[in-house]
Amino acid sequence: MTTGSRWARRPVRPLVAVWLAAAGGLGLLLLLAGGAQGPLDDRDQAWQRPGFLDAGDLPAPAPDVAPGVPTRGRPAVVFFERPGRVAALCRALERAPMPGGAAAAVVVAGRPPARCGAATVVGDAGGALAAAYGLRRPRDGGSPAGYAVVDGHGAIRYRTLDPGVAGRLGEVATMVAALP
Amino acid sequence: MRTAGTRPAVRICLWCAAAVLAEIALFASYRGHDARFHWFTHFFVGSSLALVGMAAVATRRRRPVPAPLVWPFLAHVGAMFPDLLFSGGVAHRRWMDVFLGHISTHYVPGRNLTWFVVFLASLGAYLTVVARDPGQLRR
Repeated sequence: MTTGSRWARRPVRPLVAVWLAAAGGLGLLLLLAGGAQGPLDDRDQAWQRPGFLDAGDLPAPAPDVAPGVPTRGRPAVVFFERPGRVAALCRALERAPMPGGAAAAVVVAGRPPARCGAATVVGDAGGALAAAYGLRRPRDGGSPAGYAVVDGHGAIRYRTLDPGVAGRLGEVATMVAALP
Repeated sequence: MRTAGTRPAVRICLWCAAAVLAEIALFASYRGHDARFHWFTHFFVGSSLALVGMAAVATRRRRPVPAPLVWPFLAHVGAMFPDLLFSGGVAHRRWMDVFLGHISTHYVPGRNLTWFVVFLASLGAYLTVVARDPGQLRR
């Protein structure tokens, strides 16, 4: 039976073309997005900058990066950076102090700078501290560039690779502000 | 010379252009999160849900849904709403899964590739419903 509805007259070929265009176009974009990841990015993007506390096996006890750091009763942000990139992070930290009274520490995978704003600076050439904090290896397999947020009870509540953190300290402030 | 099919074709093109521009705007809104990953997840999840809903409505009404590009866009906005909040300085919380699984959808096996397949299946389902002869639907 034929009805007068628009549905009955709809040819199939344009609909197949729509599906193929969506599959090809979005598939290509997905491939391009995957190829645009940098060497310091996480291989699994789901774990990079997830934006919420206690992802995966967190919270976990935060090891000391220096005597008394992190300090009980005060949140802290522990940054992990490579020697050749740490100057940009230090400049950013000098311009923008940590929010919420949080302490800052910078763990450098090599020789640390003499000073880095108000942050405690620590060398970690062997990567032991980065491993103790559970930071993931970036795509290039080298030391991680990212940070961990530690609450006032000494627990790691957030950690992520973030090679662009020097330009995104506002996002770090968002995660510190999210601490209970 | 203008043919009978020109005007609907122009209208469809304008809808498509508007939808693409709107999605580009959503992609560009990702200052706080990484658009390369998050935009795709929430687009695929939101659009898939919209397409399944569209298929159900089209089956019931026996005709294609009106404004078919608006449904996926609105569902995408719903799915990514916590990311708009994040750009404003509000961290994610677990309860934000109410926004079409905003948190947990990132952690399915296969990640965005899985959601891409789900999206293509949903689009195929809607297009199949649209292409069906209404006489068959009555049986």
